[in-house]
Amino acid sequence: MTEAIATKIDPSILTSSSAPDDAETCMDVNKLNLFYGESQALTDISFQMKKNHVTAFIGPSGCGKSTLLRCFNRMNDLVDSVRVEGEIILDGKNIYAPDIDVTSLRQRVGMVFQKPNPFPMSILENVAYGLRLQGIKKRSLLEEKVEWALRGSALWDEVKDRLDESALGLSGGQQQRLVIARAIAIEPEILLLDEPASALDPISTLKIEELIYELKSQYTILIVTHNMQQAARVSDETAFMYMGEMIEFGKTNEIFTNPAKKQTEDYITGRYG
Amino acid sequence: MESNSTSQHISHKFDEEMENLRNQVLKMGGLVEQQISGAIDALQNTNASGAEKIILNDHKVNALEVSIDEACTQILARRQPAASDLRMVVAVIKTITDLERIGDEAEKIAKMALNLAEEDINFHSRYAGIRHLSDQVRRMVHDVLDAYARLNVDAALKVVRDDDEADKEYQDLIRLLITYMMEDPRTISEVLDVMWAARALERIGDHAKNIGEYVIYLVKGKDIRHLDLDDVEKDILS
Amino acid sequence: MINQQTKAWFKSGTPWIWLNAGAIAIALVAVFGLLLLILFRGMSHFWPANVEAFHYQNNENNLTVIAEIIESETVPLEALHNIEISDNTDVGDEYGNVTRYLVKTGNRDILGSDFRWLYDIDLLDREQPENIMALERIEWGNFYGYLNAVYENGNLVTDKEVWPEFIDRLNRTNDIRDQILQLEQGDIGAINYQLERLRLKEKRLQLDNKLTDAAIKELEEQRNNLNQEYGVLLQQTQKLYQQINRDSIKATVMDGSEVTIPLEKIVKAWQPNKMSTLNKVGYYLHTLWAFITEDPREANTEGGIFPAIFGTVLMVMLMAVLVTPFGVVAAVYLREYAKQGVLTQIIRITVNNLAGVPSIVYGIFGLGFFVYFLGGNIDALFYPEALPSPTFGTPGLLWSSLTLALLTLPVVIVATEEGLSRIPRSLREGSLGLGATKAETLWRIVLPMASPAIMTGLILAVARAAGEVAPLMLVGVVKLAPTLPLDGNFPFLHLDRKFMHLGFHIYDVGFQSPNVEAARPLVYATSFLLVVVIVTLNLTAINLRNKLREKYRALDG
Repeated sequence: MTEAIATKIDPSILTSSSAPDDAETCMDVNKLNLFYGESQALTDISFQMKKNHVTAFIGPSGCGKSTLLRCFNRMNDLVDSVRVEGEIILDGKNIYAPDIDVTSLRQRVGMVFQKPNPFPMSILENVAYGLRLQGIKKRSLLEEKVEWALRGSALWDEVKDRLDESALGLSGGQQQRLVIARAIAIEPEILLLDEPASALDPISTLKIEELIYELKSQYTILIVTHNMQQAARVSDETAFMYMGEMIEFGKTNEIFTNPAKKQTEDYITGRYG
Repeated sequence: MESNSTSQHISHKFDEEMENLRNQVLKMGGLVEQQISGAIDALQNTNASGAEKIILNDHKVNALEVSIDEACTQILARRQPAASDLRMVVAVIKTITDLERIGDEAEKIAKMALNLAEEDINFHSRYAGIRHLSDQVRRMVHDVLDAYARLNVDAALKVVRDDDEADKEYQDLIRLLITYMMEDPRTISEVLDVMWAARALERIGDHAKNIGEYVIYLVKGKDIRHLDLDDVEKDILS
Repeated sequence: MINQQTKAWFKSGTPWIWLNAGAIAIALVAVFGLLLLILFRGMSHFWPANVEAFHYQNNENNLTVIAEIIESETVPLEALHNIEISDNTDVGDEYGNVTRYLVKTGNRDILGSDFRWLYDIDLLDREQPENIMALERIEWGNFYGYLNAVYENGNLVTDKEVWPEFIDRLNRTNDIRDQILQLEQGDIGAINYQLERLRLKEKRLQLDNKLTDAAIKELEEQRNNLNQEYGVLLQQTQKLYQQINRDSIKATVMDGSEVTIPLEKIVKAWQPNKMSTLNKVGYYLHTLWAFITEDPREANTEGGIFPAIFGTVLMVMLMAVLVTPFGVVAAVYLREYAKQGVLTQIIRITVNNLAGVPSIVYGIFGLGFFVYFLGGNIDALFYPEALPSPTFGTPGLLWSSLTLALLTLPVVIVATEEGLSRIPRSLREGSLGLGATKAETLWRIVLPMASPAIMTGLILAVARAAGEVAPLMLVGVVKLAPTLPLDGNFPFLHLDRKFMHLGFHIYDVGFQSPNVEAARPLVYATSFLLVVVIVTLNLTAINLRNKLREKYRALDG
């Protein structure tokens, strides 16, 4: 073995894994259980999310990945029969603690949904919605922040001349970027993306993915997706979920080349049945 | 593959394609094995016609490489394979490169055999040493293809280890051949041909070792190239 | 072969399509037929038809009747046997039929009735004399006759042409009448209203034992001021009355006798047989306008129907203002806040069933609960000074609107709930996800987006409310309201006042009128106007809804 080079090759030549491995933990999920009435939707979910990383959740429909995503901004509270056990620690506080203000939590944890859901208002008012909720009324400040958010979501150049037109006139991809702008306008720490590109054409999807990559430097991003290639492309960590359990959580590079669990392997190679 | 997942793809077409790919590789392996055997036989028996046949047959190996390469590209583009499928395709791409090189080496041996046949020498008596090497190498190729067919990590690891032995055998042979040359400078050109053949055999062993490493990567997802084998063994078998 | 063709025809669904199309056609014909009938019958009333002079024989006497033909019909002679007609037995055409005319003779004060039947068998001659004059009078309906002379203060005016002079003087009289009306209803009405309020104030102070000498003095002072103003105005009016009584005319009636008519009693004069078609059109539009804008006279059988239109629209608007917030709030609670379960389902069913309760039942409820209970208590608490005469304890605009609001509440609730349930979940979640509370989401997203549905509910409610009459008869509508519920006296909108309503007006004119024949065209005309009012209200609301719908177009795709 004289010629053997015992040094590992640095995998950071790949851009998608450029996020530092030693980033601090942003959210700590600890033995999370969720019940819809009697039936358990999530079982003993535990993992840590790193700051400024993109974490993707993949898994078959009904595996609980969207439900899990909705735990992070307590969107599941809207369903009457939901009961949550365990804890999600954000900045040292359990977000399910009784003294947590849900609305301020949701301002810290922004969410983008599967279908673009712009409000039936002007583009400006859409982005300013969250700001107005926070009580910002000054027009100049609003416009400034709206521009910042639209630039952040790579939409500014396309809409700057028609800010007062209805947001419903935008294309699907633009609408989704508008919704992302709306979410980042209130400067959250975490962005939850629930299949953000599933209703979009491939080019718009790529734009969104590009956006996710750029947003990563400022936000911690969680993304649920059915598109495994998408998860492989955009995420640093991937979690595979099945039947409400987190089967595997690990680096995306690992998951997509050499998953540890057979179920993960079967799912990502298309043997799930 | 079977050892990794018992179930099949949801897409049967994909299954078929992968199966087809595997069979093609094995077919290519078989062909290459034949070429090596033929070349070694031609060398040892200074059989000129046998050697010519080997040289002529090399294009078959090349053609197979091209077609398998094409198939791999197709699968990558259309199926975007992941995990074990991805490793399979990657391993195949690399394997066929090595197989093609083995084919080239076999051709080289056959050319040497042709040279030697013209000089009409008594090969057996003078160059018995090369038989050990050739047997060793032939076995390695056979074993590694077997390991590939069965996705047998142990067998593959054994081939990787065997390469050291083949290297040693080669070194011994070279030393012997150098002695011959020093003893009788008239035989230099003849011995050089044999040396080239031995060199080719040694290269075949290296390629077999590479394939063994691909098999391990394919099955275990671990890249063991340039690593200490004892560590690897512990790691893999743990 | 034919059988198979028939079978194939049935199979193709063609007969089914024809059946559907037929049903639609019948419905369309019915609706438009109805509208056209109402339109024609109602609107032809205002056309200044030619007035004819009929010369006929009755009991050997030659008589002349000056009248408008209202309608003519052919009847078999037998049907007329029990009616006293001419002795002439050899009558009728070859089939034994007679044509008879319903003619409007006017001159009710002289003849006793406006209408009579004429039989063509008796007719000797008919002509349309150029100089026949028709008058619309303040009392006694129309007058037909010949203008003879104009008198000023009883003196004959000789030096001028009679007709133009008459029209000039009539215009002057009408001007004066307008002035008087304005004084009486406007200024004097306001003073009376203030005097009444002073009286109530005094009584109130008395009831509260606060009627100090100072207060009495102050009240007295105010009263004196008002009385003084009143005196001035009264003098003005009296002067105007003297002026208006100045002129009169003498005219010959059809039987040859001459009557004197003071100009003060005449609204309008025209000579139909002299008028060109263009003149008639102008006259027609003028009359129509007067019908829409003037107050009724003569037990609603003459004049306009403005107070009824006004009352209807005002009541419906007030109803809309009352029912919308109420219904929307109820629907929001039911759909957004209440726990969905058996109880809410029962409530929902109950609300839906409320829409099926006969409207008169709502009227009874309104009378019992709103008028007597609520109104009575309000009077006792806030208007004790006016007792025993009730303020809110009697049918009125507010109670009518409230009753109809109750009646239409289910419609609004159902439509709003429907609209709320159609707001995509993703939009609510989008808002909540940005840190909005549920209430903020409701206000900023859900309700604006549900507004087209709310408008739909309102449209249905307005359509239903504008056509309701039965409950209103119990809770506020009257045959003749002396004042509009909206005027210049504080607080401007008088919710306690009774009001007139087109629907009730139709019933009243059509069935309660002393002069049914005269009222019949008015029934049609009023019906037509009611339809127009409802259509206008609906179109306005629909237009508004469509605008909202465009604005809040639901997300598609």
